[in-house]
Amino acid sequence: MAKNQRPSGERPPLVADAIPPALRRRGVTPRQVFAAILVGALVLAVFASRDTPGWAERLGDTPLAHQARGLAIAWDERMARLGLAGPHEFLRAAMQRLLDWKWGDDNR
Amino acid sequence: MLFPTLDFLLFFLVVAAALAALDRHFAARKAMLVGASYFFYAQWDWRFCFLLAASTTISYVAGLMIGATANARRRRLIIASGVALHLTILGIFKYLDFLVQSANGLAHLLGLQHELPFIEILLPVGISFFTFHGISYITDVYRGDVAVCRAPLDMALYMSFFPQLVAGPIVRAAYFLPQLARPSAEPIPIAAAFLLILGGMVKKVIIANYLATGLVDPVFAAPDNYGGPDLLLATYAYAVQIYCDFSAYTDMAIAIAALCGFRFPRNFNQPYRSQRLREFWQRWHISLSTWLRDYLYKPLGGNRRGRLNTYRNLMITMLLGGIWHGAAWKFVMWGALHGGGLAVERICEPWIGRRSTGRFGQVVATLVVFHFVCLAWIFFRAEDFTVAGVFIAGLGSGWSQGLQQAQPALVGLIVIGMAGQFLPPGSFERAGRALAWVPHWGLGAAAGLALAAINALGPEGIAPFIYFRF
Repeated sequence: MAKNQRPSGERPPLVADAIPPALRRRGVTPRQVFAAILVGALVLAVFASRDTPGWAERLGDTPLAHQARGLAIAWDERMARLGLAGPHEFLRAAMQRLLDWKWGDDNR
Repeated sequence: MLFPTLDFLLFFLVVAAALAALDRHFAARKAMLVGASYFFYAQWDWRFCFLLAASTTISYVAGLMIGATANARRRRLIIASGVALHLTILGIFKYLDFLVQSANGLAHLLGLQHELPFIEILLPVGISFFTFHGISYITDVYRGDVAVCRAPLDMALYMSFFPQLVAGPIVRAAYFLPQLARPSAEPIPIAAAFLLILGGMVKKVIIANYLATGLVDPVFAAPDNYGGPDLLLATYAYAVQIYCDFSAYTDMAIAIAALCGFRFPRNFNQPYRSQRLREFWQRWHISLSTWLRDYLYKPLGGNRRGRLNTYRNLMITMLLGGIWHGAAWKFVMWGALHGGGLAVERICEPWIGRRSTGRFGQVVATLVVFHFVCLAWIFFRAEDFTVAGVFIAGLGSGWSQGLQQAQPALVGLIVIGMAGQFLPPGSFERAGRALAWVPHWGLGAAAGLALAAINALGPEGIAPFIYFRF
């Protein structure tokens, strides 16, 4: 018997799984999980490049952090030149306009 | 290290790479996850890791000792000692200064001059959660609900697993330890996991953050500056904020655990659609409410020893549930309101029944429960009783002032947050099933795009999750 197997008479816990069984029938392997996260991270790095300098700024004052800061700024500039920072800026500006909208304002 | 940050993404990328590399080596995967969990915890303060290790050792040794004897008296002594040790650690780190403050307050009232000194210990993040994990394990072994865990690695992973370490859900030993016995044969439900992460990001980064900074924080900081409409909307906003904040954390924890190959229990189920307070507690922070039910309410006697004892047990359970949230009298008040509410509901049950019948009755019952929960949230959120008093008194005045703080976008976020409570049951399952056919790289790319959009729509910087301080 495996070490943590339930002893006879042991009650199963009365809690429901957060992800229903129907959704656990189809899925992927750990390698595919890693691949999917890697693809997601790359897409995020491309379209959220505007936030990378700010993130690098918070890394501290070590030589590695300075290097990361330089890389982040260069990366952001490259993405901006390619026009890939546009969607980020558009969404941020749109959200700001929504937040600035006050009751009684006619010119949104 | 917060879930919705680039730091966490990089950390998890490394963990996912290691899990992929160690796919066929289950023991090595578990060891790697323990190491990653301690690294994750050390990001707050490396000294906390010793506390976590001590809590793990207490649970492990107590479990072995209970399993080694059949003598009922000895077993009782071991469980009592194990639980007492856990509670002592929690008490010292979380409640000692609160007790000192309360004792000093009482001494002041009695006209005594002497004041006890404060200890001023830093509260270790997540201590309430891993203490409850440890107590649950020892109790389950004692009751025979779970086998003794003889593998130190398994116990270390159960106590420290990083998705649930700092803010839950509280995962029972009987639920999690069997998953560590052998590798799961199930595939990893990546579509459902990504859906939970994206939903959690929307709830935390957009809804909870904007409601906190735009409405809740300013209004609760100075309620006397606002009229009734702003105060009422700030109350609704806090109800939505705390739900979105906490459920977002647990959704992401569930998803991250799933991506590591483990199952977690459900922790929220549209709580604001409840028609009874009892139902609210079956839908809100389910892992805590079931923990309190099984390890406190039932051992106290539950509803088995007559009506008065049932009301007393409800009250004790909710008072302790309140103080679990924090060392302050306002949390005791919050617990007392819920305990009192549950007792009154029981008294009225012969007339109102367990569920309302008819559409009108259901709407009224839902509104009554929601507003009662909101009233209790005012005490939970306010700095102290004085602020809560000013806030509640202000609700009835200043209705001619109109809205100063609750601007249209914030009201829209309250509406969106509440609308999520009334989505038809099974919506998540349907969405997950529809996405299950998308290839994994497509899901990754879509998730990356969606995260970039959420990041752009949210404010700069992420506030810590509310439940981190508990």
